[in-house]
Amino acid sequence: MTMKNDFKLSDLPKRNIYEVPEKYFDRLPAQIMERTAGAGYSPAPWYAAAWKPLKLAMAPLVLLLVAGIVYFSQLRQEKEKSAVILATVADEAIMDYLSTYAVLESSDFAEMPSLSDPDMTAEFLNVSPKAAEEELEYYQLDMTDY
Amino acid sequence: MEDKEILEKFANPDSRNLAFNQLVRKYQQKIYWHIRKMVIDHDDADDLTQEVFIKVWKNLENFRQDAQLYTWLYRIATNECLTFLSSKRKKFFLPINDVAAELTEKIDSSPDIDGDEIQLKLQKALLKLPDKQRLVFNMKYYDELKYEEMSEILGTSVGALKASYHHAVKKIEEFIKQD
Repeated sequence: MTMKNDFKLSDLPKRNIYEVPEKYFDRLPAQIMERTAGAGYSPAPWYAAAWKPLKLAMAPLVLLLVAGIVYFSQLRQEKEKSAVILATVADEAIMDYLSTYAVLESSDFAEMPSLSDPDMTAEFLNVSPKAAEEELEYYQLDMTDY
Repeated sequence: MEDKEILEKFANPDSRNLAFNQLVRKYQQKIYWHIRKMVIDHDDADDLTQEVFIKVWKNLENFRQDAQLYTWLYRIATNECLTFLSSKRKKFFLPINDVAAELTEKIDSSPDIDGDEIQLKLQKALLKLPDKQRLVFNMKYYDELKYEEMSEILGTSVGALKASYHHAVKKIEEFIKQD
């Protein structure tokens, strides 16, 4: 082939111009095998075979763990937020709320030290002890069989 | 012998040598010629081919079978070639053009290179390319690998490989026209 100005690589027949010594590829495997005898090989570590299935099993566990951490951290943040908001509310406002809406138990009152004050009863019932007694006599509530 | 069978036999200590011998016989020529086209000199190619197979022997047990065996072998051979050429430059403080000049000189003087003028010019033109582009050209033009296989071996995208090969062909054609 002559070299021309319109030379195209696709026009050139593919040819390997390199040569090897005679019977080189017949001898090469034996030479390599001879070298491997002294080279030793690296057996796979015991965990190599288990690693792939372990990775597959680990993926959902890790996902679950991350989801759990996120959920519990959000829950804790919510609780802290509620406590902070509640702390800003005055005791009177809480008492008003509880007396209006909440179903109260005796244990709820035990937690409120301000209720140990005897005057609180009158204030709470909005009636004097004398008026209360007159009311009881009028309806004869002490005779009523509950 | 199929690759799968070779790997199964290699895993058994009783048939390990036999399996490895089969592997060497099956792939020695592909690996040797891949290396030879990069380093030009037979003795260098012989040393590197042996080194590749010693590395394969040492690491075959850890070979992950989700890759094809021959692409793994090619990758080891490719790394050996690039390391060899790079260390040659560092060792003698040679710039890229001087290594190319040294290899060109071997094309002219080596007794085990036989080609007509245009074939020799093609080899000299190839030496003007950067090592990685020369690898891409050789794998596509001579070894006729698919771009997907080359991508797996070289860790480069198919698009980049196509562009690299296209530019390599243009540079070679220009070089031969000008010379």
